Amino acid sequence: MERLTGLPKDKILDRLPYLGLDIEGTDKESVRIEYNPNRPDYSTDYGIARAMRGLVGTELGVKQYHAAAGKEQVLADKSLAKVRPFIACAVARKLTLDEETIRQLISMQEDLHNGIGRKRRKVAIGLHDLLPITFPVYYSAKDAKFAFTPLGSEEQMTIEEILQTTETGQAYGHILADTRAYPMLYDSKGVVLSFPPIINGLKTKVETSTRDLFVDITSTDARLGDEALAIVCSALADAGGALETVTVSYGKKKVVTPQLEPSRMKFDGELAQAVTGLSLTKKETRDALRRSRLDLDPKGFAVIPSYRVDILHQVDLAEEVVIGYGLDKMTATYPPSGDAGKFDPHASFLEGLCLTMAEAGFDETMSFDLVDGASLYGNFRRSSDSRLEVDNPRTAEHSLLRDSLLPSLMAVLGRNTKNEYPQRVFEAGKVFARGGSGVTEGVSIAALSAHSSSSFTEAKMYLEALVKKHLGELADTRPASHWAFAEGRCAEALIRGTPLGYLGEVKPSALAAFGLDVPVCGFELDLSKRSKPQG
Amino acid sequence: MEKTPLHPIERKVLASLADGPNVFERLVSSSGLLPDQVRRSISWLSSKALVTTTEVTSVELKLVASPPELVFLQSLREGGGESSVARLRNALGEDRGFGAAMGRAISAKWVEVKEGMMGQIVLLKDQEAGKDLEGLVVLLKKGVGEAGVPEAQRGTLADLVKRGLVERKETKTVSVTITPEGAEALKSAEDQGFEKLTPEILSSVRATGLDVKLRPIDVSASAPAFHPGRRHPVKELIAEVREVYLSMGFSEITGDAVQPAFWNFDALFTPQDHPARDLQDTFYVKGVRDERLSRSGVVANVAAAHEAGWQTGSKGWRYRWNVEEARRLVLRTHNTAVTVQATRDSGGAETRVFSVARVYRNESLDYKHLAELHQMEGIVVGDGLNLRHLMGVLTKFYGRLGMSGVKLWPSYFPYTEPSMQVMVYYDKVGKWLEMGGSGVFRPEVTWPLGVRKPVIAWGCGLERLLMLRLGMEDIRELYDNDLGWLRERKEIAGTQDIL
Repeated sequence: MERLTGLPKDKILDRLPYLGLDIEGTDKESVRIEYNPNRPDYSTDYGIARAMRGLVGTELGVKQYHAAAGKEQVLADKSLAKVRPFIACAVARKLTLDEETIRQLISMQEDLHNGIGRKRRKVAIGLHDLLPITFPVYYSAKDAKFAFTPLGSEEQMTIEEILQTTETGQAYGHILADTRAYPMLYDSKGVVLSFPPIINGLKTKVETSTRDLFVDITSTDARLGDEALAIVCSALADAGGALETVTVSYGKKKVVTPQLEPSRMKFDGELAQAVTGLSLTKKETRDALRRSRLDLDPKGFAVIPSYRVDILHQVDLAEEVVIGYGLDKMTATYPPSGDAGKFDPHASFLEGLCLTMAEAGFDETMSFDLVDGASLYGNFRRSSDSRLEVDNPRTAEHSLLRDSLLPSLMAVLGRNTKNEYPQRVFEAGKVFARGGSGVTEGVSIAALSAHSSSSFTEAKMYLEALVKKHLGELADTRPASHWAFAEGRCAEALIRGTPLGYLGEVKPSALAAFGLDVPVCGFELDLSKRSKPQG
Repeated sequence: MEKTPLHPIERKVLASLADGPNVFERLVSSSGLLPDQVRRSISWLSSKALVTTTEVTSVELKLVASPPELVFLQSLREGGGESSVARLRNALGEDRGFGAAMGRAISAKWVEVKEGMMGQIVLLKDQEAGKDLEGLVVLLKKGVGEAGVPEAQRGTLADLVKRGLVERKETKTVSVTITPEGAEALKSAEDQGFEKLTPEILSSVRATGLDVKLRPIDVSASAPAFHPGRRHPVKELIAEVREVYLSMGFSEITGDAVQPAFWNFDALFTPQDHPARDLQDTFYVKGVRDERLSRSGVVANVAAAHEAGWQTGSKGWRYRWNVEEARRLVLRTHNTAVTVQATRDSGGAETRVFSVARVYRNESLDYKHLAELHQMEGIVVGDGLNLRHLMGVLTKFYGRLGMSGVKLWPSYFPYTEPSMQVMVYYDKVGKWLEMGGSGVFRPEVTWPLGVRKPVIAWGCGLERLLMLRLGMEDIRELYDNDLGWLRERKEIAGTQDIL
């Protein structure tokens, strides 16, 4: 970077964040950075240095890249029209590829695969040594029995074998799961360059001895292929390569790639000013855009280089103005004051209940909304038929949306058996159930008291105090059954006949399942009708 | 030796010794204390030289059977002091020692034997006969030990023991004697005042108007542990953040945790093949969709914005938008899913709202990642708002949360442009820290919702700030719910720092 930008390391480190690059870590030799997915042109040091030279003012405006008219041809046929119809290519000559440059190119290729390429589904890139290739090159379908020697192998393999046994075959084979027409790029002598989007051929492997490169980009969307190729070509040119065009023929239709001409978008200065809050002259605006490696032409159009694939709207240009101007030069201003704010009354109601529980000596706990099947269902020996599962959770511990807070509180007590008793805990939060448009959300508050003499009466005492204070009425209790509580030691709480929740002594089998040696009593109240779901 | 005030138990024990030495068992019964309490206090007192102890042997006596001569005498007295031998033999029975009793009575000259008409007759000569022995038996029945038998009766006792009518049992015990220092300590303790106020004492105080003395206690002695109920630290910080927003004129909004992908992603101009929408990163509810969502109204506008920019002048993402993808139910990955609905609800009117709530990410848990965490997000809808206003709001917001500086770096979110990463200077750690994102909602977001005014938006995680406040390294500890930690943790407001 120091060589590419002519800047000392500390200056580079100071400015990198102002390009939108996160410094993840630094050591003597290198800086690990993370870039945002809207800037795939930052996938090489060349791209970053290009932007950095603009930001510090050593090289301004649009960097022009030019590909000389080349003579090489690629012939694409219709056999891949429904699989991966498009191919865009380029040649870069007279490169000096050291290990570091190759590492950069491979890392760029991977990043483009994952980003623009959506894990190779939309775009796949092949870099090849040009020397062994005999043009024209063909882009056409082969069947599963077709065999060649892929990169990383010493023997010929059939497509079938590659998909089943190689690492990339297993990782990306699903992209071709619905077809029997397998994309193949091969030359006039039958040498396979690439089996996109899976793997390259061995014969065109890029080494430090490689001088001339052939780039192929296959895609399901021609625009995305062109954009990826522009990014690759800009980096190769910055690495010292002399670019040449390749003509791709789809039957009679011929397309010359790469397309490196900048595009133009009418620049709306008023909008830029409104968004940024900066009052800049036309010249200052143009200077700012030039620092962002864009430009403003005399007709008032913004000039956008082909590798900048992120400019969709005027507001994107406004951001380029502000980055070029320098975010560190911006000053803050507080917007005119508005009305007084107010809390959500339901949230405040719930907060009041929580305060009362804490005042009563209960410790507030917070557990996850996603729980495991044992604590939610198994430990209480209740049916899991109405469970709400999430797809593909990383761990089974977080796989089910809870419909009650009692299992979470029991799990808390189960993890705290080494701590001093009595233990009194409560939690307030969301509970989830099937219904309505799929899932309905409620709010509940639950409390448990664990110690050698906890009892139904204790649970009732706390419940009555809470209800009387916050709902202004006494709760009635009548015998009931509930999956968490022991038969005969369980009641339903009601206010003027409307169910409010359950209280009782936790049933012995559940105590045992959670590893508890003391009796536990408590309650759970459904506040959905009184407090809207809150965070 | 330093004088420590007497413990109430020590005081009771000393008081029981005031009238003279006492053995352990009697100390227990006279003090009304538990044996263990007495044992321990004797040990403290003797270590302070307030009592001395000596080991003594005490003898328990047990009457096995009544001496037959007493039965003999009683039977004789029932007959008016005269009885035939046959009747007495009959009353005692040969096997119950008639012979021996008769022999003793004669040799002790208690009785005379005469020949009568019907055989031999026994006459009581000594009216005081057997009184001495009777007295001893009464004592034995009361359970006195050997030490309690008067000297004069020791011979009689020895005879009963010899005859097997009384059993002796020797036990060793401790005799405790108060020392002069002990007596002094007791006296001074009694002068020190009352142990405890009672209604009687208080009524005398009321009557006299004079204060009474309370006994000084050992104020360095430990007290039992007590844990007041505490709020969870995350909830405490949420409460603080709500107050900060309220103080800035923001109103609170809430929303569902489960949202159609439409509100979590599509309405926020996140293309349907965006990596953030993958199962790997986002929780989708299995097998449930929002079937009511259809491509009409706002949804149709959003779809068109994705495909070709709709009326906004944007190029759009240039792909075919699919309503099915938008119907999937997702556990919101950010509260922007809620604030964007408030943007729609504003209808373009000036609006300042915030949401502090839980968000969900399909993450494996480690020291810096959780699958569920909290975010505090805010938006302002209003004419003429720009990036400088955003900086102004952020500076005030983070300032009130204890951070003295704010700077912005370029960043990227699909739904804001410009998009800014917020760096804050946190004085407590003396460092610049990354604290969430911010930006101006894109026209592709606001226009389809019917809002053409600028909307500035920001958000950040809550746990990170809380960990800094509490000096924590591992984010998982926040949700371990370890009661030891929840009870002992320090305050989040950092009052320690202020004091």
